[in-house]
Amino acid sequence: ETLNVTLVAGHPPVFRWVKHASQTFIPAVNAALEGSGYDIRWSEQYGGSLARVGDELEAVEEGLAEIGLVSSLFDPAKLAPQNVTYFTPFVNSDARFVGDMMDRLQMSDPTMKAAWEANGLEYLGGAIGIDDYLLMTNFPVASIADLQGKKIGAPGPAVNWLEGTGAVGVWGNLTTYYNEIKTGVYDGVIVFASAALPGKLHEVAPYITRVGFGAQYAGGIAANKDWFDGLDPVVQKALKEAAALDREAYHEDLDASVVKFLGLMESQGATISAVDQAFRKEWAEGMDNVARTWAERLDADGIDGTGVLKTYMDEMREAGATPVRDWDRE
Amino acid sequence: MSPFEIGLASFGAMVALIYLGFWVPFALMLASYVGVWAIKGSPVLAGKLLALAASETISSYFFGVVPLFVLMDYVVSVSGLGRDAFDVANHLFRRLSGGLGIGTVGANAIFAAITGISIASAAVFTRIAVPEMIRHGYSRRFSVGVVAGSSVLGMLIPPSLLLILYGLLTEQSIGDLFIAGVIPGLLLAALFGLGIWLVARIRPRMLGEAHDAGDIAPLTRRELARKGLPIAMLIGLVLGGIYGGFFTPIEAGAVGCAGAIVIGLARRSLSWRDFREVLNDTGLVTASICFLIIAAQMYSRMLALSGVPAGFGGFVAGAEIGYWGVILAYVALVIVMGTVLDSSSIMLILVPLMLPVLVPMQVDLVWFGIVTVIAVEIGLLTPPFGISVFVIKSALDDPAITLGDIFAGAAPFAFTMLVLLVLVLAFPVLATALV
Amino acid sequence: MTVHANDGCDEIAMPGWFVALRRGADAITAALNLAGTLLIVLVMLVVNADVLGRGLLGAPVSGVPEIVSMSVVAIVFLQVAQAFRRGRLTRSEAVLGKLGLHAPRLRHLVECLFALAAAALVWTILAASWPLFLKSWSRGTYEGTVGDFTAPIWPVKLIILIGCAALLVQLLIGAGAALLRLWAQRGRA
Ligand code: NA
Ligand code: NA
Repeated sequence: ETLNVTLVAGHPPVFRWVKHASQTFIPAVNAALEGSGYDIRWSEQYGGSLARVGDELEAVEEGLAEIGLVSSLFDPAKLAPQNVTYFTPFVNSDARFVGDMMDRLQMSDPTMKAAWEANGLEYLGGAIGIDDYLLMTNFPVASIADLQGKKIGAPGPAVNWLEGTGAVGVWGNLTTYYNEIKTGVYDGVIVFASAALPGKLHEVAPYITRVGFGAQYAGGIAANKDWFDGLDPVVQKALKEAAALDREAYHEDLDASVVKFLGLMESQGATISAVDQAFRKEWAEGMDNVARTWAERLDADGIDGTGVLKTYMDEMREAGATPVRDWDRE
Repeated sequence: MSPFEIGLASFGAMVALIYLGFWVPFALMLASYVGVWAIKGSPVLAGKLLALAASETISSYFFGVVPLFVLMDYVVSVSGLGRDAFDVANHLFRRLSGGLGIGTVGANAIFAAITGISIASAAVFTRIAVPEMIRHGYSRRFSVGVVAGSSVLGMLIPPSLLLILYGLLTEQSIGDLFIAGVIPGLLLAALFGLGIWLVARIRPRMLGEAHDAGDIAPLTRRELARKGLPIAMLIGLVLGGIYGGFFTPIEAGAVGCAGAIVIGLARRSLSWRDFREVLNDTGLVTASICFLIIAAQMYSRMLALSGVPAGFGGFVAGAEIGYWGVILAYVALVIVMGTVLDSSSIMLILVPLMLPVLVPMQVDLVWFGIVTVIAVEIGLLTPPFGISVFVIKSALDDPAITLGDIFAGAAPFAFTMLVLLVLVLAFPVLATALV
Repeated sequence: MTVHANDGCDEIAMPGWFVALRRGADAITAALNLAGTLLIVLVMLVVNADVLGRGLLGAPVSGVPEIVSMSVVAIVFLQVAQAFRRGRLTRSEAVLGKLGLHAPRLRHLVECLFALAAAALVWTILAASWPLFLKSWSRGTYEGTVGDFTAPIWPVKLIILIGCAALLVQLLIGAGAALLRLWAQRGRA
């Protein structure tokens, strides 16, 4: 039997997670189904051809696509609990670790699970971890005082990270950073290495400060629940196992790139500096407890935000992470 | 029928409906609805695709500034700044054969340094230049053709919303892209002017009963300053602000809009009544163009599901046809898609498809962006779906000039763009010299 | 701005009830259009405030990209009915014009069918958008990010419904007008 499956992603295939969906996930599903009597005819819809970034969830929920790379980062209202990492900076800088753990939580934590189900989705896995966010500026950063009055571009929730530093957080997005720094609209950005090098950001913001904001979870692979529930268990299993393989391959690729990219940026003239624990502590202490604001907002909406925050932080500490600030215990 | 065949069939049906006089946005919607229904086998899904596209397509900062660019252009138009640019250009070219036509091109080139979209230039100069040219004996066809043709300069000479979109898709510096657009933009203006001049010398009948603009009194130095200065200030505000780091190219529409209003008020040429009327018109143009873009997006999503663009693109990307084979096939594909799709849809479909092919070939993506924008912009002028032509038709308010007339008038200009495209392909330095 | 003659009401006397109906619908359409117009001004002010606040005071306005992207959807749907009413939706008149000269009754029939087909499409969008509105209402979905700026999405989804409804009414009235003209010419062609 041949199944027609549309796979949707808002980002184009130059993005690593889309590339792996096409080159790891799909072949893995196909391989697993060999000899099962099922095969899949894939229709790959990337880069806004069927849904733009942030609209993938609705496309899958409404059934226009069966499977999607759903970015919780760009759907913060519908997948609120999944955004926990972005509201708890300074916890863990290992993307693979964050990705593995978030995939586990999507299966085990009832609040996380409920968010997918409320949107008519079945989470398959394939976490999209984002490597440790860096501060890249066109001026050297020796102390937090250096940030006073500087305009720093940051993606949605990361604007909150700049509260209390004296810097002006400006909502921005990856695709315009280069131009904005070059002309001086921003003096710097909060960005991750695996995007900074392809975006040539080190040319305009050569001071790279590894503040340790931490690695993040940006989304994963999800299927339309009605469609998934109607599948033969053989196919269901193939999809979930392929998603797990995808996560491993993606993060392996990501880790290798980050090391390589940081090295390349340095060899091309960037100055990379790490900060000490005191710097990190001062930064974290200066912030509002945005995690609590976020959890309370979720609580008010009838979602157990406080519970998710606690679970996430507990699991992190249990696994050996040492958060700079215990967001859940204040 | 296979999805691929459904995609092709829907295309034929849509073209037929447009020629029969069905509203263009509804023809696109009908083709998408029936197409998705046939491909996915479900009318419910087809309806959902329409509804999702309706709420998602234009919901972005990028499209959000479209009304502001349109408003700025209208304010510039009613407060006499557009007229002044036209007068200054006519003064400069008044001695040449075909001077008014060349003046329209020149005014558009000046204006392009403020505006980021072609539809705005088309709307503004339809009102300013067309009546003047017809009064001077130019044929209707030629008059509207010049306006349609030179309106494309708005997207090539910075700022340009299309170059911003390309920069977003390919992660190229928008500043570099803007600078790369300068020479090809000016060259296109020069080619347009040269073409008009040659025709006026060799085959003046083709322009109509045109007589020279000898009755246009030359401007005194003082008048030149009075007319030229405000528009120069506005250009300075927009470009200076972008390159001085005060605002982003996307924000330039809003700042330019405020600047145009302030200049209009300072010159006392913008009354409250004008402003209200202009706002109303801005809304109508924005609504009709954005509604068209929404419908075009529905259509392009249906096509994506049918696999037609991926099929063609995959063929181009996968065929062992070498560097020039790929580039030329890509350009041909863009031009063909330009006959029925809007500019941003074509870029959204094709550019991500081509990127993985181009990057290993070491293609200069800034140059490629200019090539893409020129090829995409040809589509603004080609039937059956040519947005610049539609805008002129809706701004013209003259039933005597049909859509067919405007398309016919614009054809020589579309051809000139093709010449420019060949030049930029053959001499990439035209795009990369200043970067 | 001249009113485009796509209503063609003047050529024949329309029944009183129809004229009243059309006048009522036009008043609503014009009011929506005005609201859209005001929103354009608001967007301009907000973006300028953001630019000035950021550049001069080091204090950008939160949520501007969200405000702008939501507003443009609202603007378009508030004004699309008026754009249709004013004949601004693009169409090619070559074939219809010829038809009007040689077979005016056939032209009215085609006009009526076109308007009905467009109405059916708009109805489809309206019907499929309704659950999207309900979802955004009941789930309280928002744009923006907690801690910085959030705005509920449902008002925009509601405006899409209102705009589609207004467009639907105008299309049906357009179909009705074509039908009445067809009827009025029944003896002639
Ligand atoms: Na321009
Ligand atoms: Na075209």
